[in-house]
Amino acid sequence: MLLLLPATAWCAALELDALLKSMARPAPASTHFVEAHFSSLLSRPLIVSGELEYLGPDALARTVQAPYYEHTEVRGENVTVERDKGNPRYFSLKRAPELRTLLGSFAALLSGDRAALEQQFDLKLDGDTNAWTLQLTPRDAHVRQRVRTMTVNGSGSDPRCITTAEPNDNTTVTLLAETAKTPLPQAPDRAWLDAQCRGAPH
Amino acid sequence: MARGGRVVLSVWIGLIALSAIYVERHLRISGDLRLFMPAPHSAVERLLLEEVSEGPAARLLLLSLRGAGTDELAATSERLAAALRSDRAFRLVANGEYRLESIPQALLPYRYLLSPTLDHERFDGDFLRAQLSERERDLASPAAGLLEPLIPRDPTLEIVKLLQSWEPAQEPQQVDGVWFNARSDAALLIVETAAPAFDPQGQHAAIERLHDAFAGARSSPAERLAVSGPGEFSVMMQGRSEADARLAGILDTVGMILLMLLAYQRVRYVLLGALPLATAGIAGLATVTALFGTVHGITIAFGFTLIGVALDYPIFLFSHELPGVAQEDTARAVWPTLATAVTGICVAYLAFLASGVVGLEQLACFNVAGLAAAGLATRYLLPSTLGPAKRDYGQAILPQKLAALFGAVPRPGLLAGLLCLVCIAVIIFVPGPLWENDLGRLTPVPQAALQEYEALRQELGAPDVRYLAAVEGASADEVLAREERLQSALGTLVTRRAISGFDDAARYLPSRDTQLRRRAALPDAQQLTASLEQATRGLAFRPGLFAPFLQDVARARELPPLTPTGVAGTPLELSIGSLLIEREGRWTGLVTFIDVRDPRELTSLHAASDGAATVLDLKQASEDLVGHQRERILWSVAFAAVLLVGVVYAALRSAARTRRVVTPMALTTLVTLAVLHGLGLPMNLFHLIALVLAAGLGLDYGLFSERSSRDPSARRRTLHALLVCAAAACTVFAVLATSALPVLRSIGITVVIGVVGNFVLALVLIRATRP
Repeated sequence: MLLLLPATAWCAALELDALLKSMARPAPASTHFVEAHFSSLLSRPLIVSGELEYLGPDALARTVQAPYYEHTEVRGENVTVERDKGNPRYFSLKRAPELRTLLGSFAALLSGDRAALEQQFDLKLDGDTNAWTLQLTPRDAHVRQRVRTMTVNGSGSDPRCITTAEPNDNTTVTLLAETAKTPLPQAPDRAWLDAQCRGAPH
Repeated sequence: MARGGRVVLSVWIGLIALSAIYVERHLRISGDLRLFMPAPHSAVERLLLEEVSEGPAARLLLLSLRGAGTDELAATSERLAAALRSDRAFRLVANGEYRLESIPQALLPYRYLLSPTLDHERFDGDFLRAQLSERERDLASPAAGLLEPLIPRDPTLEIVKLLQSWEPAQEPQQVDGVWFNARSDAALLIVETAAPAFDPQGQHAAIERLHDAFAGARSSPAERLAVSGPGEFSVMMQGRSEADARLAGILDTVGMILLMLLAYQRVRYVLLGALPLATAGIAGLATVTALFGTVHGITIAFGFTLIGVALDYPIFLFSHELPGVAQEDTARAVWPTLATAVTGICVAYLAFLASGVVGLEQLACFNVAGLAAAGLATRYLLPSTLGPAKRDYGQAILPQKLAALFGAVPRPGLLAGLLCLVCIAVIIFVPGPLWENDLGRLTPVPQAALQEYEALRQELGAPDVRYLAAVEGASADEVLAREERLQSALGTLVTRRAISGFDDAARYLPSRDTQLRRRAALPDAQQLTASLEQATRGLAFRPGLFAPFLQDVARARELPPLTPTGVAGTPLELSIGSLLIEREGRWTGLVTFIDVRDPRELTSLHAASDGAATVLDLKQASEDLVGHQRERILWSVAFAAVLLVGVVYAALRSAARTRRVVTPMALTTLVTLAVLHGLGLPMNLFHLIALVLAAGLGLDYGLFSERSSRDPSARRRTLHALLVCAAAACTVFAVLATSALPVLRSIGITVVIGVVGNFVLALVLIRATRP
């Protein structure tokens, strides 16, 4: 048993490294997304879809195309949210730790930078290459008050979805790439979304 | 020294010491520049004077943090701001942090009376529907975390609108949530001190606390804090003046000791010669302390400069001593002339009492008391302490040579006439301003510091220091209502790019009428519930979510309008307090401008407000004020000159003799004016004061030169005295003339020219016209 332990740890490490390496994409990279927002203020989830663009280590653009237009850009510490009408809203990333966490994980995932990822999160990898789950828990207690965990589901080298859980039971499920192209049912619920994340059995 | 002399000396020094103790106990030194300004005539001038020392723009200090990466600097900025916000030395601290928490809970329901939303919207189904759809989208946006806590209570986001409208009109860029300069290498902050700008002690304390707070807040010792602003300048100015004056004092003392040793070769004379001067200083200070209590630092500085005349009094006594003649008898012989000189200058100073400038009145009292005391001390105390006379200074070689030299000048009357014409021609025909109206030119603040301040001010969008509008009214509410009527005119100025922004109290606190109108526009509970029902139909919001909103609106419908007293203790108080001022039952609202590009357009505000708003050009107003002040001082000087001639005439009882005494002095004043103008130096208040001093010295030289004595050796002793006096004055003021401070330099140059002119002209003219 004692002899086996380091070997197991070594195996897991190799697996995570390989996974991260396989997921790395050079910037700019973009993907279609479908997002479902569950909030304690809401009686049903809000669903939006559009395009996510990773523009580099500290730049991210998120464009909602349906059911309305909204463009968000994060550059450095500054966030701009703009809708078809009205003035754009500006705020600092510091006021939106959940966004910083998302951006940080994106940057680290897409650059395959395990060290950067581990600096911000406790990592837990489950499953097999076909259906893996990478759970990221923010190390900073301050950030944990806004983001409890982020769970990335995927198969092979492709992430399928990201689930962001906030302490007040608000949850955001973001379906990515191919998963986002699946036609949505009339009223998608958590169970349907989770099934999409895990990947429908072949 | 005889026993009697020792007693006199001890009593004398004792009196000086007692007076010094009295002064030390009771004197309060003020840095308030208004003591040196004429009493204001108009409301605008009064406002200007208030504004100069207490205005919001004058109390701002601009801070920049450098020397580290943006992350560290931003963190330091936050820690520094937090530390300063809890310090009562600062009324306002801004670093760009956007703080929802900055509105106290009690004021939250007031948002419906403060925000302009209800001026053009109704809280009906349609409006709420549009707002709630937006909120739904917000919840699906990256701003969700920010806005979610607000939505149940404030679905129309009035709080956010208010906070945004209260933000400075032009903000520097934000990095890491705090202000940074355009190059992102310096974090920027603005603080407003509680102390007025021209209170160097208060500003000094505030700046010390700033540096202390910074030392505690910085992430690494490599980070540097730079402070800039009128208050910092006044501290720097004081520091430099003190350093400069101290150096000048040391050089003067050394120079005087050497000169006196050279002239009299008696150590005792060096020490005793300083006593009348010390007496003058202490007597002057004690008198001003007793009469005024508070004395301006400038009064003291100028007072000690002008009182330098007293240095001459013992010199006249020393130079006239003769072995075998009792010092007491020498003093008695010199006294009529000395008394005339002292009386003349004292009476002349009395004219300043009518100048209407408190600082000059203090200066006059200081000098009258000081010079009278020094004159009397020289006559009645000094002789008995000197011991027997040892030399006849008339035998010295230099005075004899000078007498021969000046006596040989041909046709001095004609020369004087020519000199007079040349001077008048120079004054009339050399181009350039005769008077300096720009107070700013007098500032010893280095140009680089001023430029850095200007650059920082631009980046921070701090209010313009030159232009300002004042709106007056019988009550705070009247002022606010008038300011509200100005908003559209101000908006036009911004769209026409004449200014890039403005700030006034009405931006934060609407008038009572406006608040009541908005309150009346709020729907009652039943209507609002129905509208809300209609608005939420089909949206995803949980039923009953907006109960806190219904409660706040119901509360707002009952609220009395918010008043300036109602905002006490909130961050609004800071913003409003400096923009809405009560004085003697009248209220004045200040409108400050940001980045004035076209000052001519500002005049439109006067018409737009039906005359309620006055646009002030502080620079112009301060120049006018300086002009008025100079006019009064010039009248005082002219009056002083008349008085002085009167005293001389009364003493000499001869028009011809009076003319001989006064001519060199008058001609020297003209020469000094011409030289200054010819050198391209415009005259300012300090030159004028220096001219008065030079004229005072000229009076001494004239009187003593003219002092009729048939004994040539006595005339040579007088010449010795004049030579020592002139050399002493030149030593002291030549040191000042090399100072880096414009004020000290003005005085130094003027007095040196005046002393040389008075000395030469007194010798040439008075010798030559002697019958």
